[in-house]
Amino acid sequence: MEQKEIQTLVRSVLMEARAFEGYVIVRAQSRREWSMRLSNGRFERVSTGWDSGLGVQAFTSGGASGLATSDVLAEGVGAKLVAKAIQLAQRNEEVGTKQNRRIWEAPLVQAEGVNSAQKVFGEIPLLELQERVMSLHSRLREAFPGGAWQTSYRQVEEQWCIGRTDGTLVSFVVPRAVLMHQGTVRDQGQAQSATIHRSGVDATVLFEELKDHGLERKAMDRAGFAKAVCGAPQLPSGHYPLIIDYGLAKGLAHEAFGHAVESDHMHESVLGEEGKLRKGLRVARPGINIVDGPLVGDWADQPYSANGLLRQTVTIVRDGVLEAGLGDVFSAEEAGMPVTGAGRAESYRNVPLPRMSNIRLLVERMIPLKPAEHLMDEVKAVRETLLQNGELREGEKNLLLLGYRGGQVNPKTGDFVFQCDGIIDVADPDLPIYQPSIFSGKILSALEAIRGGLGEGCYDAIGTCGKGGQSVPSSGGSHRYLLMDADQQVSLGGERG
Amino acid sequence: MKLVAQLEDFLYQSQQAPKQEELKLSAWRILVHESEAVSLGVKDNSSGGVYTPPSYRQGESGEVFLVWADGTCSQAMVQLPAHNDLDYWPKALEQWRQASYEDPDAAHIPVPESLPLVAVEDQAIRKIIEGADEILFDQVKHWLADKPSNAKLQGSIQATWGYRHVRTSTGLAVTYQQSQFMSWFSLDSLVGGGFAKRRLIHQEEQEALWSLTVNQYEAMQKEAPPVGPQTQVILAPSMTEEMLGQFILPNFSGDRVIEGQGAFSKENFSEHRLVFHPQFSLSVDPLRPLELGSYLVTSEGVPASRTMLVRDGQLQTPFLRVKDARRWGTKPTALPQGTAGLYLKHQAEVPWAKALEGVADGVLVLSVLGLHTQEAVSGSYSLSAPHSLRILKGQIVGRTDVKLTGNFFVDLLAATTKAAHSELDIHPYLLVRTGVQTL
Repeated sequence: MEQKEIQTLVRSVLMEARAFEGYVIVRAQSRREWSMRLSNGRFERVSTGWDSGLGVQAFTSGGASGLATSDVLAEGVGAKLVAKAIQLAQRNEEVGTKQNRRIWEAPLVQAEGVNSAQKVFGEIPLLELQERVMSLHSRLREAFPGGAWQTSYRQVEEQWCIGRTDGTLVSFVVPRAVLMHQGTVRDQGQAQSATIHRSGVDATVLFEELKDHGLERKAMDRAGFAKAVCGAPQLPSGHYPLIIDYGLAKGLAHEAFGHAVESDHMHESVLGEEGKLRKGLRVARPGINIVDGPLVGDWADQPYSANGLLRQTVTIVRDGVLEAGLGDVFSAEEAGMPVTGAGRAESYRNVPLPRMSNIRLLVERMIPLKPAEHLMDEVKAVRETLLQNGELREGEKNLLLLGYRGGQVNPKTGDFVFQCDGIIDVADPDLPIYQPSIFSGKILSALEAIRGGLGEGCYDAIGTCGKGGQSVPSSGGSHRYLLMDADQQVSLGGERG
Repeated sequence: MKLVAQLEDFLYQSQQAPKQEELKLSAWRILVHESEAVSLGVKDNSSGGVYTPPSYRQGESGEVFLVWADGTCSQAMVQLPAHNDLDYWPKALEQWRQASYEDPDAAHIPVPESLPLVAVEDQAIRKIIEGADEILFDQVKHWLADKPSNAKLQGSIQATWGYRHVRTSTGLAVTYQQSQFMSWFSLDSLVGGGFAKRRLIHQEEQEALWSLTVNQYEAMQKEAPPVGPQTQVILAPSMTEEMLGQFILPNFSGDRVIEGQGAFSKENFSEHRLVFHPQFSLSVDPLRPLELGSYLVTSEGVPASRTMLVRDGQLQTPFLRVKDARRWGTKPTALPQGTAGLYLKHQAEVPWAKALEGVADGVLVLSVLGLHTQEAVSGSYSLSAPHSLRILKGQIVGRTDVKLTGNFFVDLLAATTKAAHSELDIHPYLLVRTGVQTL
């Protein structure tokens, strides 16, 4: 479905609800996707698809809500969904649900976002994309024959339109593309895998890669590192000075602080007190800032919320002090924070939840780092730079955690765990490599332990946020590396039985 | 006209009388799901709030797999066109043709075989979809009334009912009804219980699940002595399931084995390498009545059957889709649906109550943080498990926070590893000797 068609559909559904005394939000989405996967020199899958659908969220005049969705866009579906959503909302009111009338206070917005893609979906024919991805895959296999390689490429275009009873009508297009290499390597009877990606909004990512082969170099370096990790010893568990890369820093910012300041989490967040954001709380050293907001051309860009409000950029932590949260229209006020248009949903089927877009952890005390082409050259540069600046802690391990495999946080208790691809002791001139091991602790202690940044900002660490069982693109980053002091509440590793 | 009927007609025409020779199909396969679902959630002790409202979802979508006359293949996701556009499917066919690729092993559609009788539908769930949805609201009301007074309850219930259609150019035409009922709840987001089958939960199951969870929650209010190096680690059934999903499932996927991306090689399977202790077996069983992982026929048209992946600790076969089976040189196997349908069995399993009596110094791990971040191929884990339950002299005595470090393959191979079963779960408790430290 094209954008105008979706807008017409949303208007017609709103018309169906005009006699209803309550409030209605209509969300329509049309999604196109092309994807392909190659494994060891052969196509394993090339797939095309599209998915269009409609969701109606109805609120009784008291504020009880119900949701009805369908991907069957046949004649009369709008009326059916409106009737069903109203019926569920009324039923919900009868059983005494907690009511919420905040949507009536939302500002009226009428806007049409601009598609940020340079190459619109379909401009490069699928056959040409297949040839280009195969050429990148084949080149990598030749360059690193010791690995079992998978390459995948995916491009998506989502068209959204959100309409509301108050006359709001917001439509926008979200394009995304990602090229990914995954290698499995073996050594000394052990196997490890390495995954590396290059993201953007359209097929430009492929053309850039064909020009500079930056991802290929990274993939080979990471596969070489994974091979070294296979036979590497394990670290004794302990509390160490750490250097974390920007992927892990994004994970820390996203999982540990972003989720903890989302307005629907304040009753269960270590950064909430009696349901309100603990504004003014010192959570880090002066000079530490955490910012969330969409970036044009980014993997997680979304200019408007799924409730039809403008998405704002929010400084969550300013100069070490907790300043603001990510508020959606339904819970921001109760959580003691302004509405920032933070509601995002996986699709028209889901209820939007407050969540992040691109989150950045920035430190005012930044030490420049000379960029290097290859991973181990960069690690050497990290060591030299830290030595020159008196930042290596003498007589103890200073551990560089490379890669981000994901993490998890309990926002209520503040416990976090993150996993990396492997660890290097940069205090040792031989740069010994260790097995990855759990990086865990308390989120406030981890933030307090950050003492500086190394290198310029890198904000293209991408992922998928799984909050509420939905899958929504997320991204972010930090300086190329963050420096963290040893802290008794932040530990690395554990010992095998 | 239903999606499956539209596709069947159109693909048949494209095989028998194509408008262009280049768009001629030699074979095809269709999978369509038609479903309706209703759900209700609880957040922070409030049922049906703005983030968890009662919801209705209708869906009719699927996928097609096409083999063109030149032997290339295409795959596409499909749904009903928004308008009655006669050109819709012909245009789609042209796009699918553009997306064709060479994969000779995949270009094979099995001939129909007789299907087993498997119960996968509960009519009681259909009635919920048709409007008798009191059960959802009543269940949530009970949870809220019965919960410990200071606990924050989160939860969700979902009932799904619909049709599954599988059609192939070789003559398979199967349509059957299937249902799902899923519910979960947690107290203070620390401890919880869940149910997921193709039938409604029985009242006694709900009561037993609730009582177990509340007892665990109450035990968690007391601090317990820390663990020591000799403390035995017990993985609760939900943890066993998660470990199977993280470390076992990907390494038994035929495509990963064939491509050298798994923990085991094809030779390991042909040599029947011993990878688990001989008392362990692992199977995929889609024939169990009303289990979530049960089905009649795979999306590729292969009838459900039981497959042993590991027998007496020895590798037998990975699970194989049609393409992987051709590359392997055998018939396709049963397929798990995530961890549903995957069963780990120990020959000397005892009831959990009896196993608990024998634990002098143990820790029961109910959940961990960060399992999904662990390296599946190596089997190694390094995990944090705050809010675990300490066991001393056969009794749960309180809460303790631990860190686990080990390797799941080593755990399953060890003679010291034991298993215990519970009426509430299809996965066992696993009693293992692994690295454990106070967090």
